[in-house]
Amino acid sequence: MDTKTLISLAVSAVLIGWAFWVVSPQSNAGGDTPVAPTAIIVDGKQVVDITAKGGYSPRVVVAKAGVPTLLRVRTNGTFDCSASVVIPKLSYQKFLQPSAVEEIPISAEQAQGTLQGLCSMGMYNFQIKFQ
Amino acid sequence: MNEKTSYEFHVQGMHCKACTLLIEEAFKELPHVEEAHVSLAEHRVHVTGAFTGTPEEVAAELTELIQSHGYTLSVEQQVHQAGWGDFVYALPIAFALIAALLLLQKAGLTSFITGSDVSYGTAFLIGLIASVSSCLAIVGGLVLSLSAESAREGGTWRTPTLFHVGRLGGFFILGGVVGLIGNSFHLSLVANVVLSSIVALVMFILGLNLLDVFRFTKRFQLTLPTVFSRLIMRGSRRDHYFAPALIGVGTFFLPCGFTQSMQLYALSTGSFMQGALTMTVFALGTLPVLALLSFGALTIAHKPWKGVFFKTAGIIVITLAIVNGANALATVGIINPLFNF
Repeated sequence: MDTKTLISLAVSAVLIGWAFWVVSPQSNAGGDTPVAPTAIIVDGKQVVDITAKGGYSPRVVVAKAGVPTLLRVRTNGTFDCSASVVIPKLSYQKFLQPSAVEEIPISAEQAQGTLQGLCSMGMYNFQIKFQ
Repeated sequence: MNEKTSYEFHVQGMHCKACTLLIEEAFKELPHVEEAHVSLAEHRVHVTGAFTGTPEEVAAELTELIQSHGYTLSVEQQVHQAGWGDFVYALPIAFALIAALLLLQKAGLTSFITGSDVSYGTAFLIGLIASVSSCLAIVGGLVLSLSAESAREGGTWRTPTLFHVGRLGGFFILGGVVGLIGNSFHLSLVANVVLSSIVALVMFILGLNLLDVFRFTKRFQLTLPTVFSRLIMRGSRRDHYFAPALIGVGTFFLPCGFTQSMQLYALSTGSFMQGALTMTVFALGTLPVLALLSFGALTIAHKPWKGVFFKTAGIIVITLAIVNGANALATVGIINPLFNF
């Protein structure tokens, strides 16, 4: 292997590594706070607020397991894929209005483990961790 | 009049069914050629006619006719040039471009869109943003792989032009229909996933072909042609106007979040003209980047460093295909999401 090949491979490896770090669902490269925010309780009901615009924010929310929960997805001039919410476990799929708040009820039985939500093309995702 | 003689030559640069037709027709246009038969499997051409000169001279004479398309004839079989050396440049270039694309995703382009009212200006802006963001992975990837493949086969400027005309026209008419009948073409989640997977698979195979390294993909090409060569790749032939335009129209249905939101808006307008114009303006917004990809591929295909370009395009297309495939699987909950852009 000559020097040129080595440089080429090294540059490629660095770029691939960086790319994986940026897009890995666990990374905080998106600017999220390292500590996942927790769900809030409104009138005795657990509520999770998520903003959908160019991705989901916050990406990870911690909530209490086994409690009926309301997931509120807020759109604000959202025309990208994140307006198309898919939650495989709930068999939920809806194309949200560009600017609105969508309320998605999660029953106590469904509020277990990790609930994964994605946009319909799969490039953005969010998680609700029931603990 | 010379005596009729038959020759067998080896063909370099031939990849698909469409190429064989192209070469055969180019040869038959010569008055002194009586018969020409190209075998794709053996990469050979058999010609009969009233030739003069040595076999080498005949090969040179015939090569002149097809050189512009990237094919050459030789008397002796030449070793398949995989062009591994091109990877030294193609690999870092490809991953640098992918990294640049990722940075664009992280730049928060969507924050430029404010409010939920869609003026034609907003529709154009959304189109511009869509063409450099997530949609690029599907629509742009498909455009790049198809135009690079078509360019490699000797396609002309006509193929991408027809594609773009088809895309704009399709968005106008289908956008109008959506506005008029108030029924959008939203595909169900399953259809979305199936479509994404097919696009990912096509991109993967086209990407492998662009790399031009693996012999086995030639077999894929032998199985694909009946479906694709006729529809897609023969678009590079002069008598085919329909196929590239049809693919352009088809991009209306490609799973792309931005396109789907615009369709949703067109649906809410309740009027043919408003729906049609909104979708057309959106498509116009995506045009600069898509045109750059398709016409760029065409121009570069005839440059000396085309080997590096095709391999770069191949790596990018394969990467996008893998990302699209993984995303499609994650959407139905089969695997956990691997990426978050």
